[in-house]
Amino acid sequence: MIFIALRMLLGDRLKYGGLLFGITFTSFLVAFAASYFGGMMTRSFALITENSRADVWVMDPAVAAVEPNFNLAAAALNRVRSVTGVQSAMPLLLATTDARFPNGRFQSFQVIGVDDATLTGLPPLQGNATPAALRAPDAIMVDPGGTDGKLETPIRPADQWPAGNQPHLDVPTRELAPGDELLVNDTRVRVAGRADALPRFPPRPLLFTTYSTAQRILPPERRRLTFVLVQAAPGVAPRDLAARIESVTGLRARSAADFKSDTVNWMIENSEDTGDAITMLSIALLVGFGVTGVMMFMFTHENLKFYAVLNAMGATARMLLIMIFAQAGLCALIGAGLGLGLCALGGYFFGAYHFPFRMMWFAPVLGGAAVVLISMAAAAFSVGPILKMRPASFLAGR
Amino acid sequence: MPVSNPAEPADRGATIRCAGVTKTYGQGNAAVQALRGVDLEIRTGELLMLEGPSGCGKTTLLSVLAGLMERDGGACTVFDQDYQQLSALETTRFRARHIGFVFQAFNLIPALTAAENAATPLLINGHKRREAIDQAGVVLREMGFDDRMLRARPAELSGGQQQRVAIARALVHQPRLIVCDEPTSALDKESGRKIMELLRQFARGKDRVLIVVTHDERIFQFADRIARMEDGRITRIEAAGGLPPRLAG
Repeated sequence: MIFIALRMLLGDRLKYGGLLFGITFTSFLVAFAASYFGGMMTRSFALITENSRADVWVMDPAVAAVEPNFNLAAAALNRVRSVTGVQSAMPLLLATTDARFPNGRFQSFQVIGVDDATLTGLPPLQGNATPAALRAPDAIMVDPGGTDGKLETPIRPADQWPAGNQPHLDVPTRELAPGDELLVNDTRVRVAGRADALPRFPPRPLLFTTYSTAQRILPPERRRLTFVLVQAAPGVAPRDLAARIESVTGLRARSAADFKSDTVNWMIENSEDTGDAITMLSIALLVGFGVTGVMMFMFTHENLKFYAVLNAMGATARMLLIMIFAQAGLCALIGAGLGLGLCALGGYFFGAYHFPFRMMWFAPVLGGAAVVLISMAAAAFSVGPILKMRPASFLAGR
Repeated sequence: MPVSNPAEPADRGATIRCAGVTKTYGQGNAAVQALRGVDLEIRTGELLMLEGPSGCGKTTLLSVLAGLMERDGGACTVFDQDYQQLSALETTRFRARHIGFVFQAFNLIPALTAAENAATPLLINGHKRREAIDQAGVVLREMGFDDRMLRARPAELSGGQQQRVAIARALVHQPRLIVCDEPTSALDKESGRKIMELLRQFARGKDRVLIVVTHDERIFQFADRIARMEDGRITRIEAAGGLPPRLAG
């Protein structure tokens, strides 16, 4: 009977196409929204991922995620270093500042101040740049941080640092390169190289420098230490060490894995993007169900005569229901495959444009679940006429 | 009547017996009494035609006999089974095993080939697809179908060919009762005659009952008996086509 059901379905190209469209659309949109959300969440803890050598992150007790954060007193670094099981502890500074480009344009940067001695926290660099170049006076490394076109400096020398401080905004530009200069709080800093950092969420340009340079170029604040990055001694479990640091120092300490989870949870609870993703998922489900449900109902209704004939010939209600659900199941299977395939293809292209797209395990699961939900709901919506029909009415013409 | 296994009639030699069967559609002032006490006996091996004016209750009686509709009153047994003693599921299964249908408008499934359409009752009865289609192909070949026609969809067949497929579909699972609702009304005279010849040739058997509802006087010659219905009752039953007079009435 499933064979008959599928032949009936495939025989009606228009409805079959409509059903496939509805399910493919839902599958694609749900998986895409989930992948986009996954990408955003992944980027939200990019700083933790980048510092893979840090087993434990220590922070102010009120800090729940990479951002927002509240700085620690400088003494916290030595207190952490004194805890048993800590092999090394490095300072990491996070701040936000506006930097002025040579043509007068200004741009907000996230400043990341890394340990002067070890440069722990500096991501891989592009080209021939060496980490040691950061130790030069007022040296910085820049990275777009997931943005496009925000690190542009004027090409012509005449447009750089113009007399009278009149900005030259609409002039030909190029990407910042080693040797270029920016103005941060009236301090000229020199680009020593370009970093190859992970894209951030929310996206913004990044400015890497040493901890001491960051303290010098940023407005003075009593507390500048944002995180202490701890490397555990061999054989010490990060989670155990984090608990020990917490009990000894009274600060918050989290293993890198736990801190990633904390950051994602904080984003889910507090980010407006979560609401946007849920709205997108809801629209996908509603539109998908609307199209699929109507198509399925129309298909069933138009074929009611044949279901009645089958029922007259002895097909039980159970057989007919299996037929309807088999039709919905086939559409679900093909539609889900098409939708997820399109999503992966879309991700491939969007990824090239720095979109925060990451198709994690839950994206196809959510897409598949949405498809199962709407196709089964559409099938259930359509079985009403089947259960109510009277085969005799087709014989009698009533 | 005890029902041990509705799929297997207790007495294969039994006939169809109806006494005082009534059926009313609607309620109150809108009630229409379609059957007003029908008495009828049909023996195996018989081709009975039900004729009468539109609205006289022919199709309602056919529906009651085929287990598609419940009667309101009277008694009716088909191969010793009283549908009212069976559950809906048991009645459906009984139809699957023992009743073949030929509908007025053929009602072939457009997406299926001729062979697949004819194989439908076998699929309903749980036969494997390949086996069912092969078996349907054998029946259709006996009716003059070639390989190309077996693979044709209903829209590619003439009305007469479609009705042959419908007849093959009614016969393929070798039911004991075949009900035909106006099988020739959509066909021209020649095609109608051929269809009736086919029905007589293939459908009529010594342990099989064939009931044909028709308006078409041209095919009366193929009947063993003709029952005339008027206003929900059988008013006359007469022999036709050479049955011994004792069976008539």
